Amino acid sequence: MAATSDYVTLVSSDDYHFVVQRSSACISPAVKRMLDPMNGFLEAKTNTVRFDTINAMVLEKVCEYFYYSEKNESARDVADLDFPTELCLELLMAADYLDI
Amino acid sequence: MSNRRAGANRIRGPHSALTDFLAANNISAAQIRDDYERRQREAERDRNAGEGSAHQEQKDSSDDEDAALAQAAAEEASKKAKKRKRGEKEVIEKIKKAKAAEKAKGSKKGKKKPKRGESDEEDDDDYDDALARNMYKKAKPPPGQFEHCEICSKRFTVTPYSKDGPDGGLVCTPCGKELTKEAKAEQRAATKKPVGRKRRKVESDRLDGLTHLGSKSLQQLCIEKVAQHHNQIDSLGDLPGSVYERLSQIFSKKRVMNPKTLPVFLRPDLDKIAIDDAAYLEVDDYKQIFAVVPHVEHIVLRNACQFKDEVVEYMLEKCDNIKHLQLYAANLVTNPMWQELFRQAGPRLETIQLQWLDAAFDDDTVQDIVEHCANLKRLKLKLCRRITEETVKLIPRLARLVHLSLQVSKHQEVGSESLVSLVTTNGPNLQTLSLEHFVDADDSVVDAIHYHCIQLKKLRISENDYITDAAYEALFTEWQNPPLIFVDFNSTRCLEENEPAQAIGLASKSFAALMNHSGSALKHLDIASCRHISKACFMEIFDGATQYPDLEYINISFCNSVETTIVAGIFKSCPALKQLVAFGCFDVTHVVVPRGIALIGMPTAQDAIEQYGMGIGVEEAIGRMVAVTG
Repeated sequence: MAATSDYVTLVSSDDYHFVVQRSSACISPAVKRMLDPMNGFLEAKTNTVRFDTINAMVLEKVCEYFYYSEKNESARDVADLDFPTELCLELLMAADYLDI
Repeated sequence: MSNRRAGANRIRGPHSALTDFLAANNISAAQIRDDYERRQREAERDRNAGEGSAHQEQKDSSDDEDAALAQAAAEEASKKAKKRKRGEKEVIEKIKKAKAAEKAKGSKKGKKKPKRGESDEEDDDDYDDALARNMYKKAKPPPGQFEHCEICSKRFTVTPYSKDGPDGGLVCTPCGKELTKEAKAEQRAATKKPVGRKRRKVESDRLDGLTHLGSKSLQQLCIEKVAQHHNQIDSLGDLPGSVYERLSQIFSKKRVMNPKTLPVFLRPDLDKIAIDDAAYLEVDDYKQIFAVVPHVEHIVLRNACQFKDEVVEYMLEKCDNIKHLQLYAANLVTNPMWQELFRQAGPRLETIQLQWLDAAFDDDTVQDIVEHCANLKRLKLKLCRRITEETVKLIPRLARLVHLSLQVSKHQEVGSESLVSLVTTNGPNLQTLSLEHFVDADDSVVDAIHYHCIQLKKLRISENDYITDAAYEALFTEWQNPPLIFVDFNSTRCLEENEPAQAIGLASKSFAALMNHSGSALKHLDIASCRHISKACFMEIFDGATQYPDLEYINISFCNSVETTIVAGIFKSCPALKQLVAFGCFDVTHVVVPRGIALIGMPTAQDAIEQYGMGIGVEEAIGRMVAVTG
């Protein structure tokens, strides 16, 4: 049982691993609940969350969004995050699943 | 050896007949050449003057030199073959560089000065050869001459304003205009959007209540991108219904909800179809909706202008699950068709919300509703011009009604008795009661509410100048109803200028009673134009000590007695406040808005019309306000 580390790993459906800060990843309520040690999920014990429905390209953008969102938490008139249009619908599905 | 003359070792090219003739007539070729070059210089000077002296400034002189060299080399190409070959290679490179430099700057400023200098150097070269080649060369003619356009080969008169073509020659006016247009389009693509439009969009988002602090949610960003590329979307895939609804809202707002984009929103397993602006949709599109989604339960079609009888028929044929129907502006549906609709679908219907019906839909139609829709729980009839007091008398027959919202046309007179009987019959079941613009309603209606309504959560009585303050006070004093969540008493006041003898509308005493009764659970408070509420009353209610924990939205527009200290009190008393609308409150100035609150409607020009709280807490904001106002 590892102590709550600062960084967590997010794994995409095609086995790409993304290491992000815990605080950023927990912007998503779903991820936060998964990583909460109180809930006793496997993800919390291994500090890793696997997403079988999200592929690497989308997950990369999601991680970028985590950092973008945390960085601009208290800023006004933030510029929108840019992403390729082709990714749009899958990103929307991932965003809906993660509730971000 | 008469053929040998001084300078005969100079290689001379073939002489044209013209040259021979000129020589024979003692016309010096050199002199012609000099004249020609002088004319060139003058032409350039004129063109330079036309552009204005500002262009004389040379910022990147080295680039200009290259460009000038390239131009000079290109136009007055080298005399000897060797030079020409080498020059050609250099020239091609330099032309490319020059074009790039020119495009970036977009002016011909650099070319002129050094070019003039360059042309002086040509004096050393062979006169005859130079003349021959120059006469064959396509040189820039001075203004007044005719020239062929480089792009379209049409003949046109050279003016000081003639633009340069891509290969160094001149182009005619229309082609010149096209070139400038292209250049401008490139520039515009590179620069940002104009500031005015961005500000409008930001403020529009704020008024929509979207987050102002921090970044947008990823879902919001994606939805906006989808809306931006609405032309290229074929289908949305497996997204949940809420995303479909958000997307359809945005499409409607951007006015791209049309026959082409509609199929994106239709999926056979949806149970709710909501289209906020169906103005572009025609009969076939509506039929398509019902064909693709036959099991739909919840239909919301606003601005459904082309919703005709045949659509209603098709709907009745295909869809037997419809429980909630909201049709705004469906004016092409005739009365018999409404009848048919309620007769067939009536027993299933739980919600009927109709607005903006002018052409048809009268009391007889309401009769049909009452007869066939026994299960109706939610009824909203607003702005239906043909409805009269009869409708109000018919409604009590809907025994299961839980939410009722009525607004009749201002030309209809609805007496209090009908309203009283309505309230008496349906009152005990009602959770929502909204009576807008019933100008003839009097105190008896409010009394009836007091005695019969015990489950109300949302109450609205607006635009009435008859009901007195005392009646409202009696309503909220010792009322069996639990605290209200949504209250709207806007525009309940006396319409005449002088203060009435007896307080009309929601005034001080009744407002105090209202807050006393519902303050603990109230979320939405709208008392716009209740100008009889006194300053003392406001101060007492929003004194900073009494807390209203759920209050999120307050509208105190046009309550003239409100001033800055009251606003400060509101900030302190309402910890959950998100929006404070205060149009027309002229005594409110220099407000410092705490974090998370939107203040809308400040009158002074210096304050923005909406002010968003920055990172300061409530206490600090109030402290600053007090310091300013003294």
